[in-house]
Amino acid sequence: MKKHPLEFLAGIFVLLGLAAVIHLSIRAGSGSITDGDTCIIEARFANAGGLHSGSSVLVSGVTVGRVVGLRMDPDDYCAIVSLRVPTTLRLPTDSMASIKSSGLIGDKHVTLSPGADETYLEPGARILLTESAVDLESLIGKMAFGSVSEDSEPSDSPQEIETP
Amino acid sequence: MITRPFLLALLMLGLHPVIASSTAEAESFLKNAVSQVVTVAKNAPDGASLANQLKPLLEKSINFDAMTRRAVGPGWRQFTNDQQVQAIRLFTTLVIRSYSGKFTPGELPSVDFKSAQSPAPSRVEVDTVTIYKGSNYDVLYRLELLGAKGWLITDIVIEGVSMVANYRSQFDARFKAGGAEGVIGSLEKSTR
Repeated sequence: MKKHPLEFLAGIFVLLGLAAVIHLSIRAGSGSITDGDTCIIEARFANAGGLHSGSSVLVSGVTVGRVVGLRMDPDDYCAIVSLRVPTTLRLPTDSMASIKSSGLIGDKHVTLSPGADETYLEPGARILLTESAVDLESLIGKMAFGSVSEDSEPSDSPQEIETP
Repeated sequence: MITRPFLLALLMLGLHPVIASSTAEAESFLKNAVSQVVTVAKNAPDGASLANQLKPLLEKSINFDAMTRRAVGPGWRQFTNDQQVQAIRLFTTLVIRSYSGKFTPGELPSVDFKSAQSPAPSRVEVDTVTIYKGSNYDVLYRLELLGAKGWLITDIVIEGVSMVANYRSQFDARFKAGGAEGVIGSLEKSTR
């Protein structure tokens, strides 16, 4: 009879521990920012390489949401990215979405830059003014093999001085 | 009996160009504008005179009002009317000057039109490859239909970098530091 309260307490302690682990794992995952009212807005990119579900959505460097889905539009082979953002985030209709990477080889994220329109994006609206992921490999390729004529480069510099 | 499917086919044939026409219209507008610019560039002796000759042409085909508003971003609403007019004028000069500053007399670009898509009504994106001095550049033009003004270019994306987004990040930082005067001041400095 005397042992029972202790075992009971230990059981409760274990259960509390488990609950804390579950709670933390949900908060640490994509659920952390989706507290409160959220909505989905879409963005159309020519190339969404490097993005995945769970990638951050930033405004001025602050994480405001997550990428929740990527699909390809069969009509024009463009990537449609679904972003989950809080409904309190009011984005003007001419806001732009860019795929940027944190650091040179870092993870890709979506940066939203608010525009100047008086009208705001409704839930489910699609951002069309976008910048796709810059393909680093093809840029390196262009630097290495891009320029065909070598002599065109020096003729560039006097022109630059002449114009202002 | 035969007439009904025939009519249907006719209707579908008739409908199809309506959807396609706006894209084609925008594309032909852009082709025309680009060829006019190339013609002017062919006869221009240097960058400065090219800028002067291009100005009326570019003002006709690029929506500088929308471009300036979008380049400035959220701060635009805090500009007074005079400041907005001034910013549009300076931004137009800046864009035309940086456009024509890259130009070398005698070197003409060749523009290869790839595909035109309409992601939404009255918006068209035209993908091109521009070859200039032996280098290939992916250039995407974003066009919007503006009522009576017709199709106008609202953004140019070169190698995946949007002109509006590029300016917006700069102007936004400037606006946060110095307000509307700061933006106009930096515009004045770069167009001087």
